Amino acid sequence: MTPELPEEAIELAEAAGRAFDALGGVEVARRAEADPDLRAREVLPVLEQLGVGDLDPRGSGLALAAAAALCEAAGRVVLPYPLAAVLVDDGEGRPTAAIPARSARVDHATVVPSWRVGRLPTGTGTGTGTGGVGTPDAGALGSRLGPFVGDLTLDVGGGAPPLRDLLVQQALVAWTVLGSLGRAVELATEHVLGRIQFGRPLAEFQAVQFHLADAAVAVAGLRELAGFTLWRLERGGDDAIVDVLALRSHLLEVARSVLRSTQQLHGAAGVCDEYDVSVIVRSVQPALRLPAGVDATVDLLVGSVEAFGFVGLFPHGADLRDGGPDRSATW
Amino acid sequence: MDFDLGQDAAALRVRLRRLIDQELPDGFLGAFTDDPADLAVTQAFCRLLAEQGLLTVAWPSEFGGGGGSLWDQTVVREEMWAHHEPRGAQYMGLNWVGPAIMAHGTPEQQARHLPPIAAGEVIWCQGFSEPEAGSDLASLRTRAVPVGDTSGADGWRITGQKIWTSYAGMAQWCIIAARVGPGERHEGITMFLVPADAPGIEVRPIRSMLGPHHLNEVFLDDVFAGPEAVLGELGGGWAVIRTALAHERVGIARYARCERLLSELGRELEPHWGDLPASLHAAWVRALVQVRVARLLAYRTVRAQESGGVPDVAASAARIAVTQCDQSVAEVLCSALEERCLDAGSTAPVHGAVEDHWRYAQASTVSSGTIEIQRSIVAKALLRGERL
Ligand SMILES: Cc1cc2nc3c(=O)[nH]c(=O)nc-3n(C[C@H](O)[C@H](O)[C@H](O)COP(=O)(O)OP(=O)(O)OC[C@H]3O[C@@H](n4cnc5c(N)ncnc54)[C@H](O)[C@@H]3O)c2cc1C
Repeated sequence: MTPELPEEAIELAEAAGRAFDALGGVEVARRAEADPDLRAREVLPVLEQLGVGDLDPRGSGLALAAAAALCEAAGRVVLPYPLAAVLVDDGEGRPTAAIPARSARVDHATVVPSWRVGRLPTGTGTGTGTGGVGTPDAGALGSRLGPFVGDLTLDVGGGAPPLRDLLVQQALVAWTVLGSLGRAVELATEHVLGRIQFGRPLAEFQAVQFHLADAAVAVAGLRELAGFTLWRLERGGDDAIVDVLALRSHLLEVARSVLRSTQQLHGAAGVCDEYDVSVIVRSVQPALRLPAGVDATVDLLVGSVEAFGFVGLFPHGADLRDGGPDRSATW
Repeated sequence: MDFDLGQDAAALRVRLRRLIDQELPDGFLGAFTDDPADLAVTQAFCRLLAEQGLLTVAWPSEFGGGGGSLWDQTVVREEMWAHHEPRGAQYMGLNWVGPAIMAHGTPEQQARHLPPIAAGEVIWCQGFSEPEAGSDLASLRTRAVPVGDTSGADGWRITGQKIWTSYAGMAQWCIIAARVGPGERHEGITMFLVPADAPGIEVRPIRSMLGPHHLNEVFLDDVFAGPEAVLGELGGGWAVIRTALAHERVGIARYARCERLLSELGRELEPHWGDLPASLHAAWVRALVQVRVARLLAYRTVRAQESGGVPDVAASAARIAVTQCDQSVAEVLCSALEERCLDAGSTAPVHGAVEDHWRYAQASTVSSGTIEIQRSIVAKALLRGERL
């Protein structure tokens, strides 16, 4: 068993981390809110230099791992660009993204002229849901929780993307958020080591240590699950949808508690945009709400477990299906 | 047992809701939005409440109030917060600055400050926290030095820095905690009532996810305060802070807004309720239960207040439940609205109240003392042998 990312992927992530830091780190997200064109002007060239255009996460296990590591690095600085979607190019230069059940909404909609979008299938559907080519409507929400989020006008004639593309994109979104959560824990750690109250660093208070430990354990668990999901995706069965939805549903739970506690450990500074943690909390909201929030994701997961079972040491969900091979006890 | 707040309270609630319905624009989200017109709405609304005797319905009659019960006060608080606090920043004056001046002020201070607070004409801000004194408020360093002899009879010069001061940019008055004399920690802390435009005061806004006008830094450079500015005893500021914080902690009926938003959400989602995930139905009803529990704990504080004394432990207990409820309701609301929870402003679902609520809720376990500090207040009381 090798649960670690391959060396090449780690190297790419390190190079990306340096490039994103050189751009200004989290400051780029702050600046992009005032100057959205900065995404095309400053962020895109850096991604091109990193070779994003040549990296196809569907091509091999190594490419998938490299894409994941790259997304994690982008997440650490909440890079204002739809990297996961761009990595899953439709072959005609359109990024691929999963969209919500009742809208065609994506983050950073206007940063490209055209998208390939689709809906994750519910329940026993094995094909994709609806989808097509999406053209961004003018403007973005501009809200504090979704500054770059925008709606697409959908042309279903073009056909939905393959399910696998949507699954890869969703796994990469999870890796991106994973990077943000990992960074939030680091920021909270630095903050409580440096901040003195009651005559000593906050880090010396056990209540503070417990918060930190819980957050770090949650992120470590999420990272393992994110790696496991890549492995399952690489193996390429129909049931990978179960694993991707399981990852997303866990991601949403972990994100909520980790962001909450790392923000809390900053005190009032945690809601203040001068501090990176506040910008991180706001910037990841679109990824947590699109294409499905926690309840809708769990609902999709229930449907897919009923359809395919759930891989583990024992069979799960096999009786819930009508017929079909029992894929739930693969090891 | 009886959990009915009584006929008067019910009538008051009906009256307030009618006024709110008539006077506030549709989709009002409070004074602190990006739209400056909202601030004007709160000023007009305060005047109207004052004219109708509703602004200080529960202040004692000797201070120009309606002499109503603590339950009347509770109803006002609930209705105001549920409807996005149409009294604007003035609520701070009404909820606790006024009561602190009633409890600790001289007759002159009372005569000078209470009438404008009661008329909703003045905005106060609270200068307690400092960059190095957050949870550890007793370590504050802002210093007041007597002018002339040490008695302070000729006034004081205040120098220091405050941070996270809500509404400082729009306030006319500031209640400042500063240190007098050589004492350490709680000793020597003294409260000063200072006009916000006094020479030497500089206010800088802080950008936060709560939106404009909210948090500020306040720099105090040799600010003069006359002898009449001292509230309470010299060095007796900690007692004022305790009363103020206890009032503040119960003063905001966050559970009432949570409950109203859950109700509005139900209405918003009603057309496709059946299509929603079962887990969301469950989350919605569980949130309703959580809100009820938070409200009942807040009522315990009111009962403790009725029997006299500073209900600080009860207030901390209620505050823990209420702020947790605030945050978990924020998640339920967002999850239910799915991707539309990212929309802000009047065209957003539930007139943008869900997005607004989510952002504010993130700070609720920090403002007025963090939830960790409330927990330790409760725990220490239990360990002293007190019962909740
Ligand atoms: C929206 C908002 C409005 C505010 N308005 C005002 C205002 O008008 N006037 C004013 O004076 N102040 C105001 N404040 C400041 C508020 O009172 C402080 O933020 C609060 O007391 C916490 O201080 P801090 O932010 O410095 O956090 P810190 O004290 O630095 O705390 C950081 C983290 O460490 C934890 N921690 C600290 N000590 C301990 C301990 N002993 N054990 C365990 N954990 C601990 C805290 O719980 C927190 O999670 C406001 C704050 C907010 C968020």
